[in-house]
Amino acid sequence: MNDGVRVAARHLGMHFSLRGADLVALDDVNLQVRDREFCCIVGPSGCGKSTFLRILAGLERQTSGELHVEVRDPANPLTAMVFQEQSIFPWMTVEENVGYGLRMRGVHASVRKRVVDHYLEKVGLAHFARAYPHQMSGGMKQRASVARAFATDPEILLMDEPFASVDEQTRALLQEELLRVWESDRKTVVYITHSIDEALVLGDRVIVMSARPGRVKAEIEVTLPRPRSVYELKSTPAFSELVARVWEPLRREVLASYGALGQAS
Amino acid sequence: MTVKVQTARARRLGRARIGGVAAERLISVGSPVLLLLVWEALGRLGLVDVRFFPPPSAIAGTFATLVASGELLDQTRISLGRVIIGFLIGAVPGVVLGLVMGMSRIVRAALNPMVGALYPIPKSAILPLLLLIFGIGEPSKYAIVASGVFFLVLLNTIAGVLSIEPVYLDVGRNFGASRLQAFWTIALPGALPLVFTGLRLAWGIALILIVVGEMFASQSGLGYFINNMYQTFQVEKMYAGLIVMSVIGYVSFLILDELQRWLVPWRGDRAV
Ligand SMILES: Nc1ncnc2c1ncn2[C@@H]1O[C@H](COP(=O)(O)OP(=O)(O)OP(=O)(O)O)[C@@H](O)[C@H]1O
Ligand SMILES: [Mg+2]
Repeated sequence: MNDGVRVAARHLGMHFSLRGADLVALDDVNLQVRDREFCCIVGPSGCGKSTFLRILAGLERQTSGELHVEVRDPANPLTAMVFQEQSIFPWMTVEENVGYGLRMRGVHASVRKRVVDHYLEKVGLAHFARAYPHQMSGGMKQRASVARAFATDPEILLMDEPFASVDEQTRALLQEELLRVWESDRKTVVYITHSIDEALVLGDRVIVMSARPGRVKAEIEVTLPRPRSVYELKSTPAFSELVARVWEPLRREVLASYGALGQAS
Repeated sequence: MTVKVQTARARRLGRARIGGVAAERLISVGSPVLLLLVWEALGRLGLVDVRFFPPPSAIAGTFATLVASGELLDQTRISLGRVIIGFLIGAVPGVVLGLVMGMSRIVRAALNPMVGALYPIPKSAILPLLLLIFGIGEPSKYAIVASGVFFLVLLNTIAGVLSIEPVYLDVGRNFGASRLQAFWTIALPGALPLVFTGLRLAWGIALILIVVGEMFASQSGLGYFINNMYQTFQVEKMYAGLIVMSVIGYVSFLILDELQRWLVPWRGDRAV
């Protein structure tokens, strides 16, 4: 494996059988994620983004092709996922949720508490440590979910549209927070989003996937300097130019996915 | 201007609701009292047969002497002991097996036919069988209660585990939970609300079954007492036994509510 490459997918394919019919979710996906890279994936709905992430997380096994994930520190968990849907345990307090990964690995309670407090502080939930999820807003739950993944200290962070379900202002705040947390840890991140803006604000590179069956359609290096500020970045000419470069291949795929829908119905 | 009007109306609505609550409470206390008064009056006026419906005042007197003599308390203690032991014998394996069946497709496939066949049998109908197996002593009472409790708790626990969003199990796997850890940190708490539904239903059944068991196959306990008083035509004492049953039912469900609030705090407002 090339030096500096953490994740390498070669000819990765995924078939599901859906009520007898064969459904190709991923078809010949080839991509690499570099060490300490913030890699964003965009693509039309249903193109297999979540499926790819689930394979990376070991929750699903590809039906063809290979996936290499380089383990650097076997003491740490390989991946931690921020799920697309609400995934904070309703029966645990926020701090129990955030400390869950550490607890499963048998990390001592006192160490756990220090790490949990640190990340609760970073995502602005310090005052809600003892609250239950039903006492929090959707955005706060997603923040807890992000803190849970970071606190676990994985080799690779997987984030599946973590902020898709929150309103735009909150999302901008959460992106800002995420940038700050990430810029201090510099973990390898694979981040899925529907939003081109979000991909460019956060990522070092944007991968555009094709309509189903998903393949890698284009890769765009995001050359914007760090540290970044969500608000200032969006008004720069460099940003607009990048938006156009991502939008161009994506537009065709989104249209293709509507076409496929049209044919199906 | 409009704002003022609205707040005034809101306040009026608020007051109306408070008044409504007080009235409701008055009605719900008043209606049973009224019923007792009517019953008393009908008895005294000779409009109902006091041999079957002794006036509440007479029942209260009998109740007091029975309590004072300790007879009623002894029978109550015996019945409560049996029902609690039988309940635990049925509920604990019901929860454990329910979690296993909920988590494992294979175990579920293997055991579902048996559960499906045994569950619908009315448990009072297997009393004779249980007497054959366990004899007339205590174990047959535990057995009949446990048999009724077990299936209700089992089925509700399975349903509870199956109702858990799959994403939570994914979180467990992704964050390195072992099977046993997933059991304790996801399956059990996730199923707990429905487990409680099962426990409440099962407790109701347990109270029925202990009385049935004691009526037909025992020389002690409240079921025996009520039946015995009926057969010797001491109707007032029979009513005293019924009152105790009613109190046991009422208080125990309050305790279950409290337990649920304590064990399922994440449901917050949604008790019961
Ligand atoms: N367990 C499964 N069984 C059958 N089909 C599945 C399964 N999981 C996913 N699919 C199918 O695979 C395709 C890709 O799904 P996936 O969730 O990866 O899409 P996605 O790109 O994440 O979409 P979105 O952006 O809407 O989240 C979809 O057509 C979906 O119906
Ligand atoms: Mg998805």
